Amino acid sequence: MNERVVFLKHRIRTGEHKVLRQGKSIDLLEECEKEGLSWTRRAARLVHRQCEAERVVFEPEERIVFTRTVPGVPPVYSAVDWSRLTAGRTLHELGPVSNICADWDLLLSQGLLGRREVAVNTHSRLEGDASAVEFLDSAVETIDAVLELASRYAEQASLLCRDDLAAVLESVPAHPAHSFREALQSLRMCQAVVWLGGNYHVGLGRFDQYMWPFLQSDLQAGFLTIPDAEELLAEFFISLNKDSDLYPGVQQGDNGQSMTLGGVKSNGSPAINELTKMVLRIACDLELIDPKINLRISPQTDLELLCLASELTRKGLGFPQYSNDDVVIPALVAHGYDLEDARDYVVAACWEFIIPGRGMEIVNSGAVSFPAAVDQAIRVGLSDGMEFDDILSRTAENIRAQVNHLGEVYSRLLLPPTPYYSVFMRGCLEQGHDLSEGLKYNNFGIHGACSANAADALAAVKQFVFDEHSLSAEEVLSALQANFEGYESLRRKLGEEGPKVGSNDDRADALLVNLFEDFAAACEDYGLTPRGGILRPGTGSAMYYIWLASGHEGMREPVVEATADGRVSGEPFSANLAPSPGVRVRGPISTLQSFSKIDFHRVCNGGPITMELSDSVFRNPESIRKVAMLVRIFAQLGCQQLQLNSLNVETLLDAKAHPEKHKNLIVRVWGWSGYFCELAPEYQDHIIARSLYQVE
Amino acid sequence: MTSGIVFDIKEFTVHDGPGVRTTVFLKGCPLACMWCHNPEGQSMQPQVIRSLSGDRVAGSEYSARELAILLNQQAAILRANDGGITFSGGEPLFQAEFVSEVIDALDDLHVVLDTSGYGSSEDFLLLLARSDLVFYDLKLINRELHLYYTGFDNGLILNNLQLLSESGKPFIIRVPLIPGVTDTDENLTAIVKTVGKLPGLVEVNFLPYNRAAGSKYQYAGMEFKPDYDEKRPLNINTKIFEQAGLKVKST
Repeated sequence: MNERVVFLKHRIRTGEHKVLRQGKSIDLLEECEKEGLSWTRRAARLVHRQCEAERVVFEPEERIVFTRTVPGVPPVYSAVDWSRLTAGRTLHELGPVSNICADWDLLLSQGLLGRREVAVNTHSRLEGDASAVEFLDSAVETIDAVLELASRYAEQASLLCRDDLAAVLESVPAHPAHSFREALQSLRMCQAVVWLGGNYHVGLGRFDQYMWPFLQSDLQAGFLTIPDAEELLAEFFISLNKDSDLYPGVQQGDNGQSMTLGGVKSNGSPAINELTKMVLRIACDLELIDPKINLRISPQTDLELLCLASELTRKGLGFPQYSNDDVVIPALVAHGYDLEDARDYVVAACWEFIIPGRGMEIVNSGAVSFPAAVDQAIRVGLSDGMEFDDILSRTAENIRAQVNHLGEVYSRLLLPPTPYYSVFMRGCLEQGHDLSEGLKYNNFGIHGACSANAADALAAVKQFVFDEHSLSAEEVLSALQANFEGYESLRRKLGEEGPKVGSNDDRADALLVNLFEDFAAACEDYGLTPRGGILRPGTGSAMYYIWLASGHEGMREPVVEATADGRVSGEPFSANLAPSPGVRVRGPISTLQSFSKIDFHRVCNGGPITMELSDSVFRNPESIRKVAMLVRIFAQLGCQQLQLNSLNVETLLDAKAHPEKHKNLIVRVWGWSGYFCELAPEYQDHIIARSLYQVE
Repeated sequence: MTSGIVFDIKEFTVHDGPGVRTTVFLKGCPLACMWCHNPEGQSMQPQVIRSLSGDRVAGSEYSARELAILLNQQAAILRANDGGITFSGGEPLFQAEFVSEVIDALDDLHVVLDTSGYGSSEDFLLLLARSDLVFYDLKLINRELHLYYTGFDNGLILNNLQLLSESGKPFIIRVPLIPGVTDTDENLTAIVKTVGKLPGLVEVNFLPYNRAAGSKYQYAGMEFKPDYDEKRPLNINTKIFEQAGLKVKST
């Protein structure tokens, strides 16, 4: 990092740019009511007025511009109208379309004027189709708003004699990008406006694919050297961190600005290029929470690339996250995706596999609570004197009921119109329909949360009550009902002596596999949703490892009390695919072997195996190479997704006690990374607890 | 079939030899080095370890066959990643027959023997013949100091070192650097003199003193009584080795 980049990063981290923010949000309601605008029109007007309200900001030294000054996103309906509009319908999370990915190449290759022309042509073709006309007019209104914003930036740049900047801004985003710098600038502005319109978890897609042609031709023509390109890239990454605190999310940092690197092209040939490596290097230098990086690999991936990626893991940012093309692509094909599209997959905000520009999928439409399904079956089974197989059948029924319930809730899904975001999706402007009406892929994803605790609970009951008869059903039931108070030795037996997921022990792993088979079967049997998609089962748990244990306002799932794996009420569950908290497993290879037993062709929504490595593992290049080998083993074993973290428990404890000394400490939380000191205490504690069982 | 006692089996031990390895820690060691960082490896009896992450018993009995089956579950993975199994301790020579039977039952895996060298020649040769690479500890060359700090003199160790060199097997000398005890120029010079001309020597590794080691004693219900100054800066004098033409690394 040179001095300029250090300066720019420092400015963002200290938040000096925030003083430029305006005091309050704009008000749109009166205008919308007066003109009697439709919802689509209101959505367009929102983007229009937000762009108009933006002040032009040039931060000292910066070359990739746009700094958000409008703090909030105002409502387009009054509270009364909003509740009438949404009555009886399901809103996904906060309401607006989120957690999808645009095809940014549409912007870079056509420019906003090119996209506008498409809209105008379709408009004249579909003159009689009122809804198409309205959508296209709205999309054009948003395009014009962004163009106007860009011209104000260009004019200001001229006035300030920043001729280079003025030239870039006169060219993009209006026109197709002609250089790496123009491409970065165009993306920065147009992606930021998606956030301005109230959409969130705005993905960056296959950055090393759509950006590479611009960089490649600049390098070939001698317009850029590698260090110049790295500096521009660093500036772009820094710009992505400017507005993080304005993004909505469960915790700050949960913002879905993820990019996906590597893998194969849509024709199946290798997609790794110089930019893939440059992104890894620059992310390593900058140590910022955005962009969050996913790397697509296979068992054949070059170990040198994995070494570079492991250098990034060493920084403790919690990324890159890996996905295994050899598993993900066939799984997507098995779920109805065209092979070329499947090969083009990216990872959404956390871990779900989606197709840029072609998917209006709700990949995180809630979670099946495995602990709830299992716990209910165990309690009923033990009190009714059932056989173990009956407990398993009851578990399967419970899972099915939860899946059907989620399916039913989401069958009433209401997606707000999103004309601006539609500009960057395949077919919307071409056919005159908003992305909220659906794209090529319209599936829902459901996570299967906290699976390790659930499987361990089943394994303990099977082992001690049914196989060994060393515990009676009554004892276990009373202990559960008493939250193990007065049953400490029984709790220890369940918690420490039972078979556990993560040690390559078939007694526990088979039950884990079974849970996902039941889950996949329930999703398959559910059939199509009213949006014409399927339910995709996944292996993630997002914030559910905390919520299912201690509850959360508005949560649909029940809170689970003490469980038969020896967990007392209130203790968090396992996150994603990880051994239950507090369980001592044989080691990382055994853990990978345990999770490799899941049939990932049936369970394709994503959700990583999550592992903590002590920072001492990263001591020298030789040991970092071994971390790269561990990643390769993950792929060799046929696992789907991996998230590796580097942690030092003393640092975390010190950060909790003295947050002022650790403002820049970044940790992986669930599917995303954030600043440790900006997390709620229960999330901090879970990370500290996780690190106590890490590999040394 | 012989059985043995193991206090830990750790996967992915990145500092214990080439590639991706699993290390088997044999429980029981005749030496009682004052700085020992695996105090739970000294006694052959199972011990309760009480730590922040709860209590556990260190020390499980395995038959050689059981242990080999367990290790072979990952043989293909270890082989594909340039690795294998490392036998450490404690002291593997202390359970030589057991370890040799385990190695014989391994599925074509690279073996590292990590030893203090303190054992009979028979036991040492038994394991040496079955190892691909040896990590050989040299602590103190002075006989009296060795007796004082470890409880035994170094006669057997220096004798086995000679056998090791004659075997033609590659080996790495590992020197734990203990402030004021093993890191003196005098001792380091003596080590160079002892190993400098030995065929088979790949390199010398320094293992700098880790002050965290002392904290393990209380977890194991033992007492840590160093009579050297733990805080004294280490003399990481690699030059003495380099001047003798030896490759030296400090981990």
